[in-house]
Amino acid sequence: MSFELGIYHFGELTANPHTGKTASPAQRIKELIEQAVVADQAGLSVFAVGEHHRRDFVVSAPPVVLAAMAARTSQIKLSSSATVISSDDPVRIAEQFNTLDLISEGRAEIIAGRGSYTESFPLFGYDLAEYGDLFNEKLELLMQIQEQDPITWSGTLRTPLKNAEIAPRPFNGPLPIWVGVGGTPASAIRAARLGLPMALGILGGPIDGFAPIIDSYREAGAAYNANPNSLAVSVNTPGFVARTSQLARDISYPYFAAGMMENFHQRGQGFQMPRRAYDASASAAGALFVGSPQEIIDKVLRQHEAYKHERILVQLAYGNVPQKETLEAIELMGTEILPAIRRELDGRAAA
Amino acid sequence: MTQTQTPLRVVTINGSYSSPSKTGAIIDLVTETLADHFPIVTTALNLMDLRPDFALALTPDDATETAQAAFRAVENADLIVAGSPVFKGSYSGLFKHFFDLLDTYALANKPVFLVATGGSERRPLFWFLQAHVAPVGIYATAGDFDGTLILNPEVYARTQTAVADLLPLLRQYATEAEPQAVPQP
Repeated sequence: MSFELGIYHFGELTANPHTGKTASPAQRIKELIEQAVVADQAGLSVFAVGEHHRRDFVVSAPPVVLAAMAARTSQIKLSSSATVISSDDPVRIAEQFNTLDLISEGRAEIIAGRGSYTESFPLFGYDLAEYGDLFNEKLELLMQIQEQDPITWSGTLRTPLKNAEIAPRPFNGPLPIWVGVGGTPASAIRAARLGLPMALGILGGPIDGFAPIIDSYREAGAAYNANPNSLAVSVNTPGFVARTSQLARDISYPYFAAGMMENFHQRGQGFQMPRRAYDASASAAGALFVGSPQEIIDKVLRQHEAYKHERILVQLAYGNVPQKETLEAIELMGTEILPAIRRELDGRAAA
Repeated sequence: MTQTQTPLRVVTINGSYSSPSKTGAIIDLVTETLADHFPIVTTALNLMDLRPDFALALTPDDATETAQAAFRAVENADLIVAGSPVFKGSYSGLFKHFFDLLDTYALANKPVFLVATGGSERRPLFWFLQAHVAPVGIYATAGDFDGTLILNPEVYARTQTAVADLLPLLRQYATEAEPQAVPQP
């Protein structure tokens, strides 16, 4: 498989730090769909949208948004980043993503996550105390639905299924299910034990700082005799691209900092991102994919030496960088960055 | 700011035995953050380099002229950025020895930013010295770095907070023609 480069978006609604204005939800959805269309035309591999259940994010229903993208694109894979399976019904998830797979003629996939936000649990009647068990049981059911038709299943957290038909079936065989992992070795090892590809959310630190977790994943995969073809690693990290290094930082920083302050609620409050911290993370040693096309190419290749990963998804233009600059970034990713990465990695593989 | 500003005289004291050092990286971050607000002139004292001049001295008079110039720079500074890695549960020996040789009142009432790598608590020493220690200390651990590049945004944010806390006081020094920071013993 050729190296994949894609984009993910949370659909955050961040007030523009220069004007104080926030785009309407309708406007933001329209922009996301346009970004997917441009990413498809530029040759990028994946477009993914995340799931959040609060007013400062526009996407709570990824399959609906992805379906609109599916109708207007032809080759790009459409994914969720992530689907909070713990507070959803795997049967319904499968029905929706299988439908997306038919609309897109085989381009649907799921990144299954625990969710770093907790709003969806009370919303759908789930107990946060069962956070871990819910994820494990629902992930195994979601996998079994892909493999078994009709399905007979029983667990402890939902009603059993007996010879149940789950329709429609996907376009062309089981949907890819990735496991979203936040950085604990235990999660990585669990993904490997299940023989599933792992999408690793990396929001900072050194460009090669997660090598121990990726090593754990591959070692566990070998220990559990997972099919090597079913294991893969995706690095999911924020970033922004512009024609020059300085432009990339200057354009994206105010929006990123605003997004971290206004829409980053995991710790119960905003997260301060001073400009120097952003520049350090954007430097060659830092994890963020912010820079000129050549800088990003160099970072990806350096990271690949450590991770040997199969995919990178960039959380592009976080904090709602204006659409014009965002679309230019998507063009650069598809027309300059991805081809150069593939040339180099294919050369390394052949050598 | 419309007022004419006298550059703040900043002395940094680095107790690390490495070069380059993580402690030095954070000290640089503090001085850069200060320079966002004031013109500054910085005298950097790397105790590792200064070691031949003071390490064997038991009294200030035993130290070389170079070391005594360093002591005077500290006494005349508007503010101090004092940093050390944590060795065996505390600051480095050179770091403590440098302050042992300083005049007891050299830091009295003087603004001090404390920087530690490895995490540490050095306030008792600076309480003894009656320094005006910034309420927020700047601590970092190995995981915050790649080499000497600080990658944890929280360290940057904490530095901004530490500097912001002392801004009113520093602004006063920066606008005084003759800083009055050092009461004579």
